Amino acid sequence: MKNNIYCITFLSLVLILTTRCSSDFLDVPVQGAATTATDPALAEKLVTGVYNSLISGDAFGKGDTHGIAFIASTNIMSDDADKGSSPNDQRNTIGELDDFLHGPTNVFAASIWNGHYNAIAQCNQALQALEIATVDEVTKNRWIGEVRFLRGYYYFNMVRYYGGVPAVLRVPESAADANSDDTFQTRASVDEIYSIIIGDMQFAVDNTPLKNQTQTGRINRGTAQAMLAKVYMYRNDWQKVLDLTTEVVNSGLYDLLSDYELIWRFEGNNSIESIFEIQTGTFNNTDYGVRGYCVWQGPRVGGLGGWRDLGFGFCTPSRNLVESYEQGDVRRNATVIEIDDSGNHTGTILYDGFRIPSKDSVENFFYNYKAYHSELMTIEPFLGNRDNKQKNIHVLRYADVILMQAEASFELNDVSLAISNVNKVRKRASLGNLDNSLSGTALQEAIWKERRYEFAMEHDRFFDIVRQGRAEMIMKADGKNFIAGKHELLPVPALQIELSGGRLTQNPGY
Amino acid sequence: MTNARIYSLFFIVFFYSSLSAQTWTITGNISDAETNESIIGASIAVKGTFKGTITGIDGNFEIEVSDGETLVISYIGYATQELVITQSGNHIIQLRQESVLLNQVIVVGYGTQRKVDITGATASVKGEELLKQPVMTATQALQGKVAGVQIISSGRPGSSPDVRIRGTGTALAGTTALFVVDGVLTDDISNINTSDIVTMDVLKDASSTAIYGARGANGVVIITTRKGVSGVTKMNYNNFIGFRNATRLVEMANAEQYANYASAATGQSVLPGDFDTNWYGEILRNALTQNHNFSLSGGSERSTHFLGFGYMEDEGIVLNNKFIRLNVRTNLDFNINSYVNVGINGSFTRSNDKDVNLGTAYNNAYRAAPIIPSVVDGRYGNTSEYQNVGNAVLDLNNNDNLAIRNRLQTSAYVEIKPIKGLSFRSMLGTDLLNGNNRRYNFQFFNDEITFLKAGGNQRSERSSLSVGNDNSFRWVWDNIVSYETSINEHSFKFIAGTTAEAFSLQWASARREEVPAIKDLWYITTGNANTSTNDGGGDKWARNSYISRVNYNFSDKYLFTGTLRADGSSRISKDNRWGIFPSVGLGWVLSNEPFMQGISFVETLKLRSSWGRVGNDRVPPDAFTVTVTPNLAYPFGGGIATPGSAITQIKDPNLKWETTEEFDLGLEYSLWNGKLYGEFGFYDKKSRDLLINVQVPAVVGDEDGVVLTNAASIQNTGFEMSLNWRNRVNEDFTYRVGGNLTLNRNRVIGLNGGQPILDGGIGAGQIYTTRTDNNHPIGSFYVLQVLGIFQNSEEINAYTSSSGQVIQPGASPGDFRYLDVNGDGRIDDNDRVFVGSYQPKAYFGINGEFSYKAFDFSMDIYGNVGNVVYNGKKALRLSGLDNVERSLAFGRWTPGSGIQDEPLANSGFLPASTYYVESGDFIRLNNITISYNLPKRLLASARIENARIFVTGQNVYTLQKFTGFTPELLDSSPTRSGIELNAYPTTRTFACGVNISF
Repeated sequence: MKNNIYCITFLSLVLILTTRCSSDFLDVPVQGAATTATDPALAEKLVTGVYNSLISGDAFGKGDTHGIAFIASTNIMSDDADKGSSPNDQRNTIGELDDFLHGPTNVFAASIWNGHYNAIAQCNQALQALEIATVDEVTKNRWIGEVRFLRGYYYFNMVRYYGGVPAVLRVPESAADANSDDTFQTRASVDEIYSIIIGDMQFAVDNTPLKNQTQTGRINRGTAQAMLAKVYMYRNDWQKVLDLTTEVVNSGLYDLLSDYELIWRFEGNNSIESIFEIQTGTFNNTDYGVRGYCVWQGPRVGGLGGWRDLGFGFCTPSRNLVESYEQGDVRRNATVIEIDDSGNHTGTILYDGFRIPSKDSVENFFYNYKAYHSELMTIEPFLGNRDNKQKNIHVLRYADVILMQAEASFELNDVSLAISNVNKVRKRASLGNLDNSLSGTALQEAIWKERRYEFAMEHDRFFDIVRQGRAEMIMKADGKNFIAGKHELLPVPALQIELSGGRLTQNPGY
Repeated sequence: MTNARIYSLFFIVFFYSSLSAQTWTITGNISDAETNESIIGASIAVKGTFKGTITGIDGNFEIEVSDGETLVISYIGYATQELVITQSGNHIIQLRQESVLLNQVIVVGYGTQRKVDITGATASVKGEELLKQPVMTATQALQGKVAGVQIISSGRPGSSPDVRIRGTGTALAGTTALFVVDGVLTDDISNINTSDIVTMDVLKDASSTAIYGARGANGVVIITTRKGVSGVTKMNYNNFIGFRNATRLVEMANAEQYANYASAATGQSVLPGDFDTNWYGEILRNALTQNHNFSLSGGSERSTHFLGFGYMEDEGIVLNNKFIRLNVRTNLDFNINSYVNVGINGSFTRSNDKDVNLGTAYNNAYRAAPIIPSVVDGRYGNTSEYQNVGNAVLDLNNNDNLAIRNRLQTSAYVEIKPIKGLSFRSMLGTDLLNGNNRRYNFQFFNDEITFLKAGGNQRSERSSLSVGNDNSFRWVWDNIVSYETSINEHSFKFIAGTTAEAFSLQWASARREEVPAIKDLWYITTGNANTSTNDGGGDKWARNSYISRVNYNFSDKYLFTGTLRADGSSRISKDNRWGIFPSVGLGWVLSNEPFMQGISFVETLKLRSSWGRVGNDRVPPDAFTVTVTPNLAYPFGGGIATPGSAITQIKDPNLKWETTEEFDLGLEYSLWNGKLYGEFGFYDKKSRDLLINVQVPAVVGDEDGVVLTNAASIQNTGFEMSLNWRNRVNEDFTYRVGGNLTLNRNRVIGLNGGQPILDGGIGAGQIYTTRTDNNHPIGSFYVLQVLGIFQNSEEINAYTSSSGQVIQPGASPGDFRYLDVNGDGRIDDNDRVFVGSYQPKAYFGINGEFSYKAFDFSMDIYGNVGNVVYNGKKALRLSGLDNVERSLAFGRWTPGSGIQDEPLANSGFLPASTYYVESGDFIRLNNITISYNLPKRLLASARIENARIFVTGQNVYTLQKFTGFTPELLDSSPTRSGIELNAYPTTRTFACGVNISF
């Protein structure tokens, strides 16, 4: 009896020990997250995901492409705008940039770098997935074109922010792969980056449809041509600028919106003037836009208080800008919210009827009207999320094409086209025509001046004056501590240099 | 295997009955061998059955036994005796005080062993020692008790301390040891009621922990909960009630000092005004803490039971914080027949955690200006408007959070012993966890209804309610065969078995806005449906292992232990999935050698040495699989956005285990009849392929900038010793004093071909503060060296490089002068130097227990030396309007002051430097307890066996050099440990309580 029990016990045990775990017991798939293998529509979703990178604005975290770091390093650094807000708020981040005291550890200089390389990586991921995606050639090339345009756009920003940067054009297999490949860790030359940008954008020109043949907000041939024209403008390749802008003009799909002040309002979204516009809307039952774009720039309570303010009051139009508009320029009041400092306490009534009290209850004298988004839901869509207001960002619009064509014409000695183009822009601004006899540097300066007021607070000015070679002169005239040969570019973030093991070099002067 | 076979097996096993035998009635008396004093409450159990009884008031007992059965007589603190019964009669039994080394039984993982037979490094702490301290988690009471074990605890209610055994061995998922509760492996023991614990056994070296293979790298703490004893039913009630407060607060500048400093820092005129707010005073309080435990244990011949009930309430020292835990335990064991035992242990815990956002509260309290009031007539001071810092009191009051967690942990076993020495044990453990979280944010505006002055960024435009629910289930099934035999002087013990484990988790959350501010309406349905958002996810993993162990003992002199474990884990990619973890241990009990017999003062002397390999597999399940982040949408043409995706995390496809190899050498001694006892030990532990979240360059395209990879290898070398002296001076006075000391050296011995690892970013321009590099301790602080302060511009101009270049041309008088390490004439990141790490060079504990008549007194001291900490909160100075520590306000540099250690008033954003690095040395009087045992004669009439009342102080006094809250800092990763950013101050507790047994 007993022996039988032992036998059975041990037979059972042996069986338990050897058969309990079938071979796939340890093959447990990842839960709740699609992998590159399990998502059938991966390529298309990754393309949309690349567009999503346009609205990133986590300036204190993962990175920023169009949030406050972008606002600070374009508008606030220029002579068009000041830090604003209360004197100590963000003094060490934005204040440094505004006063040209920033160094390699500036938080925003780092988050621009991170935001752009995250976005570029998303482009590369999408391109890799598109290579093997099973979609028809036309669609595939269109998507590749859209993604390459965006990659080119990000590199265009990067080369203007930092100069030559690492030319990352593929997905690293792992962190170790990126570490061992010098392309990831060392800077390409400015020329190399521009040739990448041009290659990407030319592909987009060749493979994306016209504006009216694709979804609103998608990259189309006009977007690519206009942006490529701008790239060539930064390379002083004026014939290419002229050719591309002329193609956009001749497409007949674009015109100036008749009312300048509508451009940056909801009513002006995706208008006839729109060429490259960052889209906003709703998602997950809430407002969906560039993080913080409006709230950082919203008018801020100060002094006596007594009202619920709209934001933190950064990026205030400079007195230099506000007071230099030509008499009668409608663009002034479309760009600047001017706080009532008359002593009569009438306050400032905005277009939607919102009243901002007078200066004794407000922190600053001026605010950016182009970043104002109405909180009255009948006027502009607003679901209550101030941090992600539905404010489209007009990266490139038809007026830029007109003025680029003007500048190229000037450079190529077609003075009459240059003048007539500037006049188109001036006419909308309710300004008179330029003197027909203008030529030479006077005409060039007239074109440049027009660019300033047309695109004031639209993130163009600082890059533009660096391009024009006037940055030192203009910034010094504005009383800024600008050092030529240094402050044209941002510092390469210290951490990135450290993480590259010193292979990444710093910009001059930092 | 077929089900039919299992059933037939159990059928046969269960119904096989034992033969009946002659029965005797035995009476006896049990007393102390030295004092002859009767021992009350000693346990008399019949070996192999659940039959038993305990001695009464005069030490007498009576029990029925069968012929040839063995009585096991035991009492806490005394050596257990066995007595084979062959006839009836009266037995006078004298118990000797236990020799710790000789007879202590240690739970070693899938079995038990006498301490003297173990070839690895282990230690044991008894439940009653743990119970003396008014702490919430049992591991906290281990602090200072065991050499080689470092406990780092936080004062936060409901939090679990870090348990580091022999230095920082692994990097991922914390560095905390593995816990095994009644045989079930777990990472979290916050649900275990300290009062239910019999012993905590600590396995320190790789030879002891290798039996836990891939989970043993950080050491193992084995917890055994109480069981019933057959015979008289026992009841126990114990409690403590006390107060907790912050032990040490950083003194901040008052209004006048602040105004003075801020004016100088900003160049603006800052006036003290009418208020002088102590922000820490505003958010901190004296907190009530109480703990009540009731237990019932007993048993009959064929079964024993233990029932425990516990209630714990801990008000946090921060406003609105509160933690309540309810705990029920049932441990049941059944003796089916002479060779089949079954049992089930179950514990249910429910905790209610009214959580507050401590990080924000502490940060805000540290930074907020004292010239702004906290609350005046129901309206808050607007620190946000003034300086962009939230009002900490408002933040605490306007969030109402509650997290409820229910945890049901069970283990059931069947043990079959078909023939002598052979045993088969199958155990199934389950762990069911259910959590419900609720977070409600009240609506308030930055207007003059909420604030004294409108404005700022602290606002909540709409009320919101978030609820979350998570459910997880884990099971583990062990099947172990063991066989024990001896042939002459050779004795053997074999075990072999398998374990399998699987885990699954689901969670879902929902959020709506515009939920009324009435608690009874805090359900999702009452919110505005147009604002609904939801989310959810899950997790699954599995493990499978094969284990084996051989113990060989020759004549109680020569010992050998060999273990081998193979572990497979679903969390590692297929190619690297299986790991093999071997160990060997040798022991030589010198005191049993003939040549030692003449040396009478030596009771036990044992030399042991071992080598083993263990691992760590606590990798997130998606660590090697590239996953897609969904819902990165884009609204083409406006309106509702189209969902998109992105690959935002770079993965290392070749991820493998962390493995640790350890060599251990030890000497255990017990001299003069056990009066002096302790251990000396040496260890050399190499941990390879540490899994670290390494910062990677942005060009890699990883969104959070860190990638998990096998990045480094480290070595911990150490020496540990413990020394205890105990003596019974006379009947009235006994005492024990002991101490332990651990010296540890941690250093990085390889970077796996990668870059040094940078970590410890603070913010405010300090993007990293630590560097993990070869030959330095892991996570060493790597900062600029402050040489002093420039007193005037001449000094600035005179501070030049060898080529005559002014090194700090941008400096002003009152700024720090930094060392130009590389001599390139400028100060940048290349001038950083290593200045020490958070890894202590030594830590120690001193404890003493004194009993005089009915009074007991005990105390514990704990400390560590040789490490540094980083004053991160001081470094995170974001604006010139932020408040400063009082010592800075007083001691700051001013022209002509000659001050060399505090710079001029500044607006922060100073580079990481030695200015923020401070000594982490501390020594603390951890616990003092005085108790009084009520006279037994008095209690007997009330049928009370024992009654003790006590007064205790926990964390009574700390001597520290650090100027922050506490040098004891928890962090998730050793590459950034020891940075005080938002530390919860350690708390001091004074409590009193009773412990009554019926």
